[in-house]
Amino acid sequence: MTAPPPWRAVGGSGNSSYTAVDARRTLGGSVPTGGFSTNQTSPPPASAPATAPATAPGAPRTTFPDPLKQYVARTFEDVLPEDKKDVETELKRIITDAFNERVVWSLDWDKMPLPQTILAKKRAQMKQEMTPPAMASTTSGDTSPTAKAFGKFSISDKKRKSEDDNTASSSATKFSDRFDKRARQQSPYSSSTAIDKLSQREKEKRARRFGDGLQSVTPPSRNTSAMDIDGDQPLVGRCMSLEKKYFRLTSAPDPDNVRPLHVLEKTLELLKKKWREEQNYSYICDQFKSLRQDLTVQHIKNNFTVLVYEIHARIALEKGDLGEYNQCQSQLATLYSEGFTGHEEEFKAYRILYLLHTCNRADMNEVLALLTPVDKTHQSIRHALEVRSALAAGNYHKFFRLYLDAPSMGGYLMDSFVARERMAALACICKAYRPDIDIRFLTEELGFESDTECVQFLCDNGAADLIEQKSGDKGVPSSIRFQTLKAVRIFEEAKARAFKKVDIKGQM
Amino acid sequence: MSIFYSSLRSYLTHLDGRALGSLLNPTNPDNHSFAYSSNHYSIRKTVEKELSGISSFRNGITDRGQRAWVDVVVSFWEVVCELERGNTGRAVVDDGSGLELGYWGRAYTKMSAYTTTVSRGFINSGWQNWLLPVLYEACRNLRDFAIRADEEEKSVGKSADKLEDAARHLNKMFTLCLSDRAPLEESRKWGTYYIVGLLFKTYFKLNAITLCKNVVRALGATTTDMPPLDTFPKSHQVTFHYYVGVIHFLEEDYVNAEMHLNAALQLCQSGSYKNQELILTYLIPAHLMTTHQLPTNTLFTNYPRLKHLFQSICSTIKTGNLQAFDQALEENEDEYVRRRIYLTLERGRDIALRNLFRRVFVINGKKTRIPVDDFRRAMGFAIAGKNGGTRKEVEPEEIECLLAGMIYKGLMRGYISREKSMVVLSNKEAFPGTGV
Repeated sequence: MTAPPPWRAVGGSGNSSYTAVDARRTLGGSVPTGGFSTNQTSPPPASAPATAPATAPGAPRTTFPDPLKQYVARTFEDVLPEDKKDVETELKRIITDAFNERVVWSLDWDKMPLPQTILAKKRAQMKQEMTPPAMASTTSGDTSPTAKAFGKFSISDKKRKSEDDNTASSSATKFSDRFDKRARQQSPYSSSTAIDKLSQREKEKRARRFGDGLQSVTPPSRNTSAMDIDGDQPLVGRCMSLEKKYFRLTSAPDPDNVRPLHVLEKTLELLKKKWREEQNYSYICDQFKSLRQDLTVQHIKNNFTVLVYEIHARIALEKGDLGEYNQCQSQLATLYSEGFTGHEEEFKAYRILYLLHTCNRADMNEVLALLTPVDKTHQSIRHALEVRSALAAGNYHKFFRLYLDAPSMGGYLMDSFVARERMAALACICKAYRPDIDIRFLTEELGFESDTECVQFLCDNGAADLIEQKSGDKGVPSSIRFQTLKAVRIFEEAKARAFKKVDIKGQM
Repeated sequence: MSIFYSSLRSYLTHLDGRALGSLLNPTNPDNHSFAYSSNHYSIRKTVEKELSGISSFRNGITDRGQRAWVDVVVSFWEVVCELERGNTGRAVVDDGSGLELGYWGRAYTKMSAYTTTVSRGFINSGWQNWLLPVLYEACRNLRDFAIRADEEEKSVGKSADKLEDAARHLNKMFTLCLSDRAPLEESRKWGTYYIVGLLFKTYFKLNAITLCKNVVRALGATTTDMPPLDTFPKSHQVTFHYYVGVIHFLEEDYVNAEMHLNAALQLCQSGSYKNQELILTYLIPAHLMTTHQLPTNTLFTNYPRLKHLFQSICSTIKTGNLQAFDQALEENEDEYVRRRIYLTLERGRDIALRNLFRRVFVINGKKTRIPVDDFRRAMGFAIAGKNGGTRKEVEPEEIECLLAGMIYKGLMRGYISREKSMVVLSNKEAFPGTGV
């Protein structure tokens, strides 16, 4: 298994597989240096008609540089059978071009993208080409400094020149229609011989530029910001104002409307202050969303990002906005897993409580599986786990004790399912206790703040008729009683309803 | 070299799908010589020559079929070659991504190309269903290679996505089988459940169990001309029942879970203890939920692994020893969570509690009126455990809450009178199903 493939050991003996490659040295002209024409598809000059590329007779005997041999070997090492033909043709063209332009020995074959790569890029490129016809007019004649970057491969510069004669012969055939609008638009008068070659070459050229990771091909017709997010370079904002309204982007962001990190840091301080002072949730939520958006479009991921999401999540929890909370939570999960630090334990605890709210048992199992022994000793997580096991055991007594004693924002999260659990508990109590029970007891057991609140809850669920005032010996009211028997059905139904519609907004 | 081709020719001529399947298994050790029999430049020519004029091509499928076979054998050779010759180091694969892949990663790339070629044979070249074993072997190995490739990537700290890719492949193969409209006797539909089994396995491994439901739904939607499940090979049936049972189990639909798991257990080969153990791992908790019955010790003697997994927790449920129950649950927590049975077993506590309360009832001479405090003291002991420890006081409200839960769930019959602090139990069958 470890033996190197024999054909590889021989080192480039694989040349035999492309015997059809004939070196052609008829094309005059030196290896280009820096300057070149970028008129890829300029109107056809009448010159050099004799230099039809790639088909010229080969020089009788040629030697190949070793790097080229290796390049060929690499090419065939990983060719899928269905691609083989295309790859061969492509390889042939590359090598022929290299000979034509006399750069076979100077070219860095090690860095040359493989024919497969070029083909793949070409195909992708073809698809792209079909959409923006604007490219045609804009790219040609572009002699701006960015365009110079095209010329990293001397091959492609040279080719661009030799291209001109080909362009002359392109036509508005179906093929060009599909693949090369530019050629069609600019040379409607041309004949139809080398059209195939042309578009191939065009594509190849494009592929090379892409292959080299250069940005310059981005058509100027698109705005500059689009270019920024397309590439590896993240956008950096230039907006200096602290506040910004959230607007859901439908196109590429404009750097003028995006705030850079140092501004965002100040923004966060401002928002924290405003939240303390004004408590205006709709304003604060909107501001946080735009803050998050600015972070996202600039690809900013660090502990500050974590902080922003954590604060927004907490504020959302405080206001019971679980949809927004869940968005933050899912982002936080990713950020933590990428190694950024914040209050991971606290948010793990929230996650457990949130899963209780959504009754998501499958995910709960995953969360439990991922908890470490250290996690389990953390106060918030321990609390959340106890809540979970109390609910699992149907121990409402313990559940409501834990509800009243929830650390950090856990109580807010529990608010969202406490009403539901009260109904479940009442269904249970009503079935088990006879003939009636004290309202006081319900208030205590179900974590109500007062008897009034408890009575209100019962009334809201349509059990008002079952509450009665009992009088002591001298007609002094002694206690308020709740008749259990008839209430069973009411709370069974209420419970079923409550568990049916679980809020799964933005469920992750 | 010639052995491979002569076998291939002979199997193709005699329409021996099973033998072809094992011949085209890239991990078959006989492939060593085949791997070295040719090279990347001449393999296609060699295969073309070796395969020319096989009789089965003549009667029926012709050129198209032959081309497909040449493609399949060539790309199979690529796989074998990668396995035999690829050294174990990491190398840049020239697929344009420029990514470094390890040994299995490269093997996987070849394997996935091979699988695609095989599927093309079915789609474009009219392969009949006797060739399904070739597809099975391809899919099975594809999944294996993906898992190994992922392990390899993880070991060097890279992201592992090959298994996800394999799942996509398998899903395509699933559709390939399911959507075949050829007459039943030659339909690829007969391959459906094998692929489904692999697909389920893969989704479980990927922790994407929700995706299984799509498969089940797709199966349910094509009932019209799909042969009934029990006409498929038993091995396919067992796998299918097992996974559907587990899916129901995870959705807390214990009745259906039990039904499917039981079917799987009945059909399972008597000697495959490992599979039986897997089935029972879910069947035991499901049965506990539906009938409150515990497995016998006889069962455990046959399956030592299940004994390890369930015996302690089962005995604590039986005796109603809550402290020991909690301890058993905690001790095995990791394993239970990993097998996704923790949350179900945790509910066994109800049964343990019921058994404890039942003992209180029996000790009290089966009187129908029992003070809540009796239960509270029993609970205090049960929580503290046998070997002393501090007896923990349980709040009266909490014990009432637990009693109410028992009554609500139908494990006890009766009611609580809060005024008198009494539990009033039913005259007959106060603890349904337990004989008292």
